[in-house]
Amino acid sequence: MMEKSQKIVFLQALIVTFLIFNLGIFLGFKLEENRINKVNTFYLESEMDLLDQRIQREIFDITTINCDKAIEANIDFADKIFAEAKIISRYESASRLSNELEFQHKRFDLLRTLFWINSIRIKRDCNADYDNLVYLYKLNDLSLEDKAKQSVFSNVLTGVKEKYGSKIMLIPIAADTGIPSIELLLDAYNVTELPVILINEEIQLNDLDEVKELEKYLE
Amino acid sequence: MVQILPYVYLGYMFISIYFVTFYLLLFIRNRKNMFESPEVTKKYTISVLVPAYNEQDTIENTIKAVFDSKYPIDELIVLDDGSKDDTGKIVKSLLKKYSKLVYINKENSGKADSLNQGIKLAKSELIAVVDADSYPEKEAFGRLVGFFDDEKVGVATPYIIPRNREKFWEKLQYIEYSVIAFTRKLLGYVDAIYVTPGPLALYRKSALEHIGGFDKENMTEDIEVTWHLTKEGYKRKMSLGAVATTTVPSKLKPWLTQRRRWNLGGLQCISKYKRYFLRKGMLGFFILPFFILNLFLGLVGLSIFLYLSISRIITNYFYVRSSFIVGSAVISSGNFHYTPSFLNYLGIVLFVFGLIYTVLILFIMKQNVMLKKHNFFIFLIYSTIYLMFYPFILVTSLYHYFKGVQRWR
Repeated sequence: MMEKSQKIVFLQALIVTFLIFNLGIFLGFKLEENRINKVNTFYLESEMDLLDQRIQREIFDITTINCDKAIEANIDFADKIFAEAKIISRYESASRLSNELEFQHKRFDLLRTLFWINSIRIKRDCNADYDNLVYLYKLNDLSLEDKAKQSVFSNVLTGVKEKYGSKIMLIPIAADTGIPSIELLLDAYNVTELPVILINEEIQLNDLDEVKELEKYLE
Repeated sequence: MVQILPYVYLGYMFISIYFVTFYLLLFIRNRKNMFESPEVTKKYTISVLVPAYNEQDTIENTIKAVFDSKYPIDELIVLDDGSKDDTGKIVKSLLKKYSKLVYINKENSGKADSLNQGIKLAKSELIAVVDADSYPEKEAFGRLVGFFDDEKVGVATPYIIPRNREKFWEKLQYIEYSVIAFTRKLLGYVDAIYVTPGPLALYRKSALEHIGGFDKENMTEDIEVTWHLTKEGYKRKMSLGAVATTTVPSKLKPWLTQRRRWNLGGLQCISKYKRYFLRKGMLGFFILPFFILNLFLGLVGLSIFLYLSISRIITNYFYVRSSFIVGSAVISSGNFHYTPSFLNYLGIVLFVFGLIYTVLILFIMKQNVMLKKHNFFIFLIYSTIYLMFYPFILVTSLYHYFKGVQRWR
């Protein structure tokens, strides 16, 4: 009968669906892989820049430190971090198939922590007048309120960075990823609540009312 | 929850791609004979049953349409289910004009019971059920009878088109009915037709007698009878060349009531036939799983949609409130940067496939008037918002279903 011969379509459709679906998944992986590669490139470039800075510091330790150069390199690096962080954050929110960006995030956090320490040192050794603005935020177990609060913090910090430019070193770090060095720094600066904006390792701003006054601390 | 969402989404994608592919493959295989009807090789006698309740506006035209049929009709029995309007008066006035017209005035007992009484009275080999607001076209019966040469065929159904198609809501249903008819025709090729709609269905009398007629307890006797016939091994056929027009709701509220009734009937059928799940031919291996899958996908999809929407609303509320406290702009340049995920792309591809499928149907069904400039907005609304109503109606139907079950106990 006609119907019997056509029931093969159930199977044919399944095979075609598998093909289309797997092609879609393959293209999805390719898309995410492409983004991961871009992030990797950012990371390698940043890593090189930071290593270069650290070597410069080592050189300056045995000779005389050229503060102008060190500060300039630090500022450039901070600007780069700021631009990269925005792109990485967008890629992360669009990542669905692979969790590789989560690992990349940790690597970036380590790099940024290293940069933070470098920044503290340069500020101290060269008596630089920039402000270290470290934004320590939550990456995991975010409540809806946390999510909204962190979005507002991000907006405020982006605005401040755009306004003050090179006068501030804006360093965003996810502080709840279990990285021991970050936890050490949290302990060292008595950070108990996230998200927090840490200004020059002295002032902590947790509340929205305090963040409103952020610019006051930057004058 | 958020971590599993991409996988749920992928599951939906897979199922959607499967059905679009399934229908397209069936269409490709049968594109040349979609509108063909079987040849009439044998003369069948036909009794038409018209159950009527307060149908004074349409009953005369329905009777006229039936007797205008090119295929001879042996009798038309109007089963007046205790109408309170002039239905009876109108039918009685036509008795002289149409000698084969029979008027039965009975106490109100529901459509299914009326039909069962009609089956007992009917003298023909085939019984056509025609809703009192539906008009079969002249060729309709002639294009359906040929199916009955195959003794396993229990019912044949035509292409139902909305007759009223001027208003916005009617035009949306016009597109929907074309899609439904086309899909039903395709399902017919794999013996998977799951409903023979009320506006016109032609049954083999012996098949109806074999299954004991229509289920009086079911809210959609046309779905139930189709499932019952399927269970008993009868084939269901559909002809796109046979056409009947019907009246569709013009406004949202009656439309919602109608759809809720359809859903409730479907739920009743699932409940009644659940023991045949993955048993008993196409009923257990396709129709029941198909309905249950629809139910499951509708509910899960709606839950996810609500979860995401409510989460977004709450987050936005906190965000706006916090922005005001801090004094920062609610909308910043960052709001305009959106990086689409792979799933977004897949969703767009699937949506485009769905649109192409609908456009293809409208062209094939020669209803491409709905794609003309003045109707294109309607087409877009159908493809987006209209279909989104389905899961919401499903939830309200479930609510009524369980409420009803408690009451029935």
